[in-house]
Amino acid sequence: MREKQLRTRRPQSAVPTPAAGAPAPPPPLCSRRLRREARPAPCAALRRAVSREVSSAVRTRMSLFGSTSGFGTGGTSMFGSTTADNHNPMKDIEVTSPPDDSISCLAFSPPTLPGNFLIAGSWANDVRCWEVQDNGQTIPKAQQMHTGPVLDGCWSDDGSKVFTASCDKTAKMWDLNSNQAIQIAQHDAPVKTIHWIKAPNYSCVMTGSWDKTLKFWDTRSPTPMMTLQLPERCYCADVVHPMAAVATAERGLIVYQLENQPSEFRRIESPLKHQHRCVAIFKDKVNKPTGFALGSIEGRVAIHYINPPNPAKDNFTFKCHRSNGTNTSAPQDIYAVNGIAFHPVHGTLATVGSDGRFSFWDKDARTKLKTSEQLDQPISACCFNHNGNIFAYASSYDWSKGHEFYNPQKKNYIFLRNAAEELKPRNKK
Amino acid sequence: MTICQFFLQGRCRFGDRCWNEHPRGGGGRPHSAGPVRGAGGGWGAASQRYANVIQPPIFKHSTWGGSGDGGGFSGASDFGSPGNKSAVFSQNRFSALSSAHPADGFSDEEQRLLDCVAKDMATWESSGQWMFSCYSPEAGKPNVSGFREFSAEEVRLEYYNCSANNNTENYINSVNQLVQEWRNRLQELKALNASGKESLLSQLKNAVTQPLPSLGFGGQQASSFGFPSFPVSSSSSAASFSFKANPSVPPGNAAAVGSSAAASNPPTFGVTSSPSVPNPVGSGNSSAPSAASFSFKTSGTTSGCGTSGLSGFGSSAAANSSSTAPLPVSATPSAATGTSQSGASSASAAQTAGASGHNVTSAPSAVPNGIASDKLYTPRSELTAEELEQFEAKRFTLGKIPLKPPPIDLLYL
Repeated sequence: MREKQLRTRRPQSAVPTPAAGAPAPPPPLCSRRLRREARPAPCAALRRAVSREVSSAVRTRMSLFGSTSGFGTGGTSMFGSTTADNHNPMKDIEVTSPPDDSISCLAFSPPTLPGNFLIAGSWANDVRCWEVQDNGQTIPKAQQMHTGPVLDGCWSDDGSKVFTASCDKTAKMWDLNSNQAIQIAQHDAPVKTIHWIKAPNYSCVMTGSWDKTLKFWDTRSPTPMMTLQLPERCYCADVVHPMAAVATAERGLIVYQLENQPSEFRRIESPLKHQHRCVAIFKDKVNKPTGFALGSIEGRVAIHYINPPNPAKDNFTFKCHRSNGTNTSAPQDIYAVNGIAFHPVHGTLATVGSDGRFSFWDKDARTKLKTSEQLDQPISACCFNHNGNIFAYASSYDWSKGHEFYNPQKKNYIFLRNAAEELKPRNKK
Repeated sequence: MTICQFFLQGRCRFGDRCWNEHPRGGGGRPHSAGPVRGAGGGWGAASQRYANVIQPPIFKHSTWGGSGDGGGFSGASDFGSPGNKSAVFSQNRFSALSSAHPADGFSDEEQRLLDCVAKDMATWESSGQWMFSCYSPEAGKPNVSGFREFSAEEVRLEYYNCSANNNTENYINSVNQLVQEWRNRLQELKALNASGKESLLSQLKNAVTQPLPSLGFGGQQASSFGFPSFPVSSSSSAASFSFKANPSVPPGNAAAVGSSAAASNPPTFGVTSSPSVPNPVGSGNSSAPSAASFSFKTSGTTSGCGTSGLSGFGSSAAANSSSTAPLPVSATPSAATGTSQSGASSASAAQTAGASGHNVTSAPSAVPNGIASDKLYTPRSELTAEELEQFEAKRFTLGKIPLKPPPIDLLYL
């Protein structure tokens, strides 16, 4: 009798010890009785270990992600592994069959397509497409190859085509229905950004490249509709009709207006001191693009309005993705901001960095909403789906520390997270 | 709290958990006996903050300086110095500036900028952030010269291309060269002397007119990467320029020249388009051996190719006056020698290069006739269009460096 009590008590006492965020230690599997009793215990530990917000959000959003996400994510790793493996500290849903090399871009399908489809371009020269179902399951659908690493990808407005930009100096248009891809653009250097522009009187693809040009392509013609010169290599761009923002090397920053035909609207003095890394346009309350967020390699994001009533007050920068807060005067570690995405409904933004964390911010209240736990790899890309319910982020090496830290064997991940609750803006007092 | 003695030696095993105090600044001291390699080394303050995952401080000190395999010793020496320098520097920096301030005659605004630059350099060095980035002390100011800008994707693509050709060694060498360049420029900016400050301030004020520096050497190039293109036979071409192969010497120069000499790859470095590749080499060979004989025959010069203005050789003169390699030009003043050694890519350097150039004509090097003048500056009328263009460009294009001294009106004096 005593022996039985001893044995049954052990798994339960073992449960509270794991620190928040670490998976529960595997229950001793020496007897069947133990296993039966041990099974509910990790579940309880999980609920304790996972942050309150996530679990409550998940439970309320049954329609989207079904039951507790813990079992969805690599369920075996919870039970089987003994090492505290940090590849998914946020316990988010892992996308099945992720790319074999670092992920350079993520994009969700537009609202015109029923359901959610996610594409990811990677340094393994491929772009993959998954269907993301409401219960959180991801089904790999198709894949296309380039002859060089894929740097950017985007959807057309009707959701039937995917455009991909690659280091092989071309951009391709992938028709998802027929699963055929044809080349639609050619540059003299790797194409870094690609966006679909849908204007009332024209539609085209905009490609930005390291050959210092911005070209606009009608997909039916091999010559560009228009070529605009950039002061330097294009590093990142974003398009929200009728505005396009392009950030280049040497801290160049240009805004274009896209009505009638694309033309340069303004060259802006960079509000940041270092290399530009990512840019994202945000909209105002009436859904018109009104400014952009610009991230640099120096752990800083600048919010810049195009025509603010009071530029000195309205434009600001904030520091992010740095280590050890402000406690000592110890030198901080500063990480690059790899991606910025705005929530389509709330207008709050998410940033992902080389430190392996993502953060949510409210730019109007100028506060941070949440910072994630640190993943063991940098987060190289992120995006929201069309209604803002899903936040996808990719965990893979971004070369921020050079080739020595590149491990081709290390698995890359794409995680999906429920984003409806955590990105609600703070109420301004 | 008591100060942790082990931490001061760089070997506290408790790290963040330690009950004693770990004073910052004291932790910057290197510990050579401890494991020096990248992942997890007992590198004092740095490793203690990060038990696992990404370890930027270790990265920035140890492996990034050396090559991938033999990172040990060179890594140690690399992080010895910046570690020390930053520790000492942060302790002395403000005292040096405050004492210099009244004597310098800089306005508050300018002083603020200089302080800002110095502070930012210290942060940049210690933070482990991406090093191939441009920099400007304030939003709205132009970029400070001397920093090459590459994005992580460009560097990664080079690595992938190189490993496809089994050329990773070249990649590693080029990257190391760039790192060295960056480090040199950073150290320079952290400890500016008077002439350096002058030039920096004039650069920063000169807001509009500076064209965005094209990568290195006048490169408007098809393959825009501008990475020192991996010379297929770097040794042979290097030899032709009497280049003591030293990674810290103006790296872009050597590599670019190497590539144009090899001429088997389309020169990605922007030394104009390929049909004219033999020309720069040819003219480079004939017209610049004098330049080469004193420009490249040095070791450990600071600031390599990037700097315009006086800051480049201001400090290198100090650094090199003692370490001059045996030169045929003994008659030139050491300042001029120092300047010419710092790589012929600043306008003023060209001036003294021209000056000492004609001293070299007396020496038995195969120098063509163009340098016979004794003037310090050439009037514009005497310059060809190409030379004028070179003087007006932000940087010299290798192989086209004019031999005549620049016109006086183009110089910042």
